[in-house]
Amino acid sequence: MKRGAGQLINFRDNARRAIENPTLRRAMRHATESFRQKRSDAIVGIPFEEWREQASELRRTVIGDIKGYVDEFAVNATKRGAIVHRVKTAGDARDLIGAILKDNGAKNIVKSKSMVTEEIHLNKHLENLGLRVIETDLGEYIIQIAGETPSHIIVPAIHKSREQIGRLFCEKLSCDFSDDPTVLTNTARKILRQEFLTADAAISGANCYIADTGSIVLFTNEGNGRMVTTLPPLHIVVTSIEKALPSIENLPLLMRLLPRSATGQTLTSYLSIITGARMPGAATGAKQLHIVLLDNGRSEIAKGPYREILKCIKCGACMNVCPVYGMIGGHAYDSTYPGPMGVILSTLLNGIENAHPLLDATTLCGACTEACPVKVPLLKLLYELREMRVDKGYNQTVESLGMAGFGIAAKHAHIFQAGQTSARALWSLAGYLSPLTVNRLPKPTNRTFRRRFS
Amino acid sequence: MRVQLFATCLVDTFFPETGEAVVKLLRHYGVDIGYPKEQTCCGKPPNSAGYRKEARKAAEHFISVFDGTDPIVIPSGSCASMVKNHYPDLFKDDPKMFRKAEAVARRTFEFSQFLVHVLKAHESGFPNGRGKITYHASCQLTRELGVRTEPIELLNSINGAQFVPMKNADRCCGFGGVFMGKMPEISMALADDKVDSILETKTDIVTGCDHGCLMNIMDATKRRGAGFEVKHLAVVLAEAL
Amino acid sequence: MKNEEAVRIFMENSAKVAARPIRVNGITHMNEVLGEILANESAIYCPGISELEKSATIDTERRVDAYRDATVAVEESVAGIAETGSVVVTSANGRAVQASLLPAHHIAILSADNIFMSLDEFFAGLGKTLPTNITLITGPSRTADIELTLTIGVHGPEKVSILVV
Repeated sequence: MKRGAGQLINFRDNARRAIENPTLRRAMRHATESFRQKRSDAIVGIPFEEWREQASELRRTVIGDIKGYVDEFAVNATKRGAIVHRVKTAGDARDLIGAILKDNGAKNIVKSKSMVTEEIHLNKHLENLGLRVIETDLGEYIIQIAGETPSHIIVPAIHKSREQIGRLFCEKLSCDFSDDPTVLTNTARKILRQEFLTADAAISGANCYIADTGSIVLFTNEGNGRMVTTLPPLHIVVTSIEKALPSIENLPLLMRLLPRSATGQTLTSYLSIITGARMPGAATGAKQLHIVLLDNGRSEIAKGPYREILKCIKCGACMNVCPVYGMIGGHAYDSTYPGPMGVILSTLLNGIENAHPLLDATTLCGACTEACPVKVPLLKLLYELREMRVDKGYNQTVESLGMAGFGIAAKHAHIFQAGQTSARALWSLAGYLSPLTVNRLPKPTNRTFRRRFS
Repeated sequence: MRVQLFATCLVDTFFPETGEAVVKLLRHYGVDIGYPKEQTCCGKPPNSAGYRKEARKAAEHFISVFDGTDPIVIPSGSCASMVKNHYPDLFKDDPKMFRKAEAVARRTFEFSQFLVHVLKAHESGFPNGRGKITYHASCQLTRELGVRTEPIELLNSINGAQFVPMKNADRCCGFGGVFMGKMPEISMALADDKVDSILETKTDIVTGCDHGCLMNIMDATKRRGAGFEVKHLAVVLAEAL
Repeated sequence: MKNEEAVRIFMENSAKVAARPIRVNGITHMNEVLGEILANESAIYCPGISELEKSATIDTERRVDAYRDATVAVEESVAGIAETGSVVVTSANGRAVQASLLPAHHIAILSADNIFMSLDEFFAGLGKTLPTNITLITGPSRTADIELTLTIGVHGPEKVSILVV
């Protein structure tokens, strides 16, 4: 799972290993089936189509003028005492966050779930600076003590069974073995409560930021997000520039779509809208609030033909319905964001030269496109990125030779027929060379329909 | 009425009896069938793999072979979607070809679509069915073409047969065209799941409108030693005439 | 009463998300119910900022000043939202929103007049200058991070009671 920068993602081998792991298969089947059911129950009896059309338009407006919304947000958040940082690259973000923490003498840092901090590999950097970083979302905590990375953007430990988590807790936290989720949750609760109360600083993500009020918004269920954003004196929000909503009045629409699409809930247990730092004499809010808005290539994506991927609100619905993701889980993608949106975003963020094997992680079934609450044309983007792969020459040579031959045969019925005949003749050889494909097909007929038709 | 039949590569090469069933059915409703002998492939495989240039060659050939004004009938959801949805897109920068592509797209019907919307075959029904039949809703038929109810209406109109819906009928079987070859392990695992859904229905026959998927399901059926038959909808309906 | 429909939907939807909504008729009834709910609590936090909080009868023996030490927090919520069954707490008037988070039981007192029918109604009325923190609370703290098995009560309260006055 460890991959240096600029290294090719070996999706094919990763996927094969995943398929051979029965525990993973069981966990993924259970999780994705349950998610699919919850989501489909949650969209009954509501004008889902109408809402997703509105949300799609809204998000399209945002990605059409990201800089405008960042500017407006920065002005409004600054007025309320927040310190807004715009950073270009992952490295800049890491350096900045490390410096803020160091300057404030922070040593113990509590974190609530943030995929953008995964994208910039923040924890490793902070640990290298000698800081102690504790993930406090239960799923992230599990992943952190296991030394892994999230395999789902909403449920990071989705690939683990309760037995595995029980053994992990037993070993790393020196507690008695239990595979009861309630017992395991209580163990984590006790440990983490102390962390919240003694932390010097907090790092959180944001599900969106609101341009006209200067607020950041968090949808959470466990309460850790509320803890980290209200208890420590220093709070650093790390989010990406495309997550704007123009106005606080747009928030209800996102509130109706995001939890339903993500977990099948009408609304998450908590929705926190945080506007600025603590005011003098007040009892709530971090004394120092930093908001880091990461670009990391998004401004460029926003200018290009694949810009609609930036409409994504990171709900995870596309991965929950994806047949490929459901079979292999998130780690096989070897990138921060897995599943259909992940294939697209990773290809664009990591570069096609590193990520092109991910473009094989789809059957083009279109289930993702149907599920997406903001109508990201995922299927269309997958087709288009495969075209880009061919245009840039990252396809396999044997495939492009085959396709060139196909192009000729498709124009001439007699060559096409000759192809059919030779396929029949060479079938056994082909089956020998590529048993997992050819031997799964029936043998070509010696009387084609073309010959039979009269 | 006269139609032009595009048989598809898979029917031509592997499943000619499906083509014959289509012919038998259409003739039963008094449809006169033209089969342009110059037809090859619709271009779906290169199009899905990102080879737009090669896909365009196939599309140009198809458009020139299937000229005229007759409806074009295709016994495959993915090939029909290729013609109806992807052809216009392939020529979006070429106004003249774009108009031709759009005209061909408008004339094109997936087989079950044609039977229900044009021939109203579900209204007269099919007299001689037998056993339980379940239906796999292939991806491009369902989600790209929006053909969801037509095959089921046809199956429900077979006298003597019982349509039994399967769980997750519209979940991908793992075929995915080039996917089957590039990711065989995932493809087989998905086909196994599909076979599980089919077995749960205790059906005699599983049917569908795409031979790509049916071929993948057939392989899993064989691998698993499952007892049901796998047949294209055209074959099921022709047998019930 | 004009808000009767909103109250009805609020009660229904907050119960659906595993909160415990209780309708009370006036202050006397509220204190009766509060007495029963608080019977087994050992440390009660109630900031006593609003009129409703001031009129709540809290046993002085068990009352604590620091929410960190409390087993239960009794607080008035500024609003309820019928559409989602949520109660709203904010940092306005010197409140600590974390007071409704740390104790294992959160008792929200909610005036029926402050229940909004929809999210849009609530947000349209907020204006552009927001308090530092607005939190919508929709049922108890929960997780499904282990095998998607629902577990109630993670870091926040495992019990949320709502007294609609």
